[in-house]
Amino acid sequence: MSAMAKMSEEQALVERFRRGDDSAFDRIVERHSAELAAVANRLLGWPGDVDDIVQDVFVAAFTGLRAFRGQCSLRTWLFTIAINKCRSRRFRRRLRLVRVKDLEAVAGLDHGGDKAAIDEEHSARIRRAVQILPQKYREVVVLRYLQGLEIAEICELLGARVNAVQVRLNRARKRLKEQLGDLLEEKS
Amino acid sequence: MSEEQIKKLLQEADATARRPVFSPIAAGRIRQRIRRRRVMRSAALTVAAAVVVIAAILGIICMRPQKPQPEQQRIASLETQVRELQVQTNATLKLVQEVLERDRQDRHLASLEAELSSIPEPMVEIERQVDKTAFLLVYQADKLYKELNQTESAVAAYREVIQLFPKNRWADVARERLSQIEKRQINKSERQGETRCKPGTA
Repeated sequence: MSAMAKMSEEQALVERFRRGDDSAFDRIVERHSAELAAVANRLLGWPGDVDDIVQDVFVAAFTGLRAFRGQCSLRTWLFTIAINKCRSRRFRRRLRLVRVKDLEAVAGLDHGGDKAAIDEEHSARIRRAVQILPQKYREVVVLRYLQGLEIAEICELLGARVNAVQVRLNRARKRLKEQLGDLLEEKS
Repeated sequence: MSEEQIKKLLQEADATARRPVFSPIAAGRIRQRIRRRRVMRSAALTVAAAVVVIAAILGIICMRPQKPQPEQQRIASLETQVRELQVQTNATLKLVQEVLERDRQDRHLASLEAELSSIPEPMVEIERQVDKTAFLLVYQADKLYKELNQTESAVAAYREVIQLFPKNRWADVARERLSQIEKRQINKSERQGETRCKPGTA
């Protein structure tokens, strides 16, 4: 399905919802919940359980969908809500502490040269490096490299200019290189 | 170290991370949650309004100029106030009960009066009954005299009416009937006397 067709279908769904057809909202939920869960999981530092936040996003969407003017795609609009929900997540610090503890536990294990275990340790280190990035860098990294969004889309989502997004990406990469330089060299 | 390398590294790390866990979301559940939130919000507003009102009342009470009192004295005065309020409440309750009792009695009296007014005047009623009895006696006597030819019984009945109800109009009627009977009897006896005296009639 082409992007245009998809967009017009979404617009039709929004119109149906506005006219009071609740099944349209069901369809929107069905279509976007997995992707929203993935982005929330990444932005929150891979906690796994993102049930609450995904529900929060759809609650906000249900309330605000009648006012949605279609200036951007529905997906972008839902992503914006998800990003805002993740930003306002109060217990982020607690989650981070728990994860750091987990990572330390992983780091403390003697893997005995087991490749899978070493890979897991490396992955955990990479994720931790992303987690400890400042919010504005973490967001662009997640959206660009993990969600695979275009720069223009990220600009729309974050309400930032192209230059600003590119600067953030550069700085984020620089920080990641500082953190993960040895791994990058190893891989190359 | 290119951007691609970093991207690849991040994607590998992401692939091994915990997958997002979320239960299948039903729009119905979301609507239910929104409804609950609205209820909570209105309840919170009500509670907040109540708190504001109470705070305002307490503030007004506290703002009143009061002499600084020792704690015990204050408690004692509060106790006195409570007792006075209790007494006032009791008095008010008593008054309310009295008013209710008075009202009940009034209503009872009104119903009795209504009942009484439906009963006819006793003297009129007695007179009516007397009149009726006298009429019946005269009627019976008339029947005895005219239809059954029992003159003696009829005369006794007329006399009884005159004796029992001397001032009644039916007593007058009875007197008239008696005089008629007497006249007829006199006439009859006279006719019998004449017949006996005439020669050749025996």
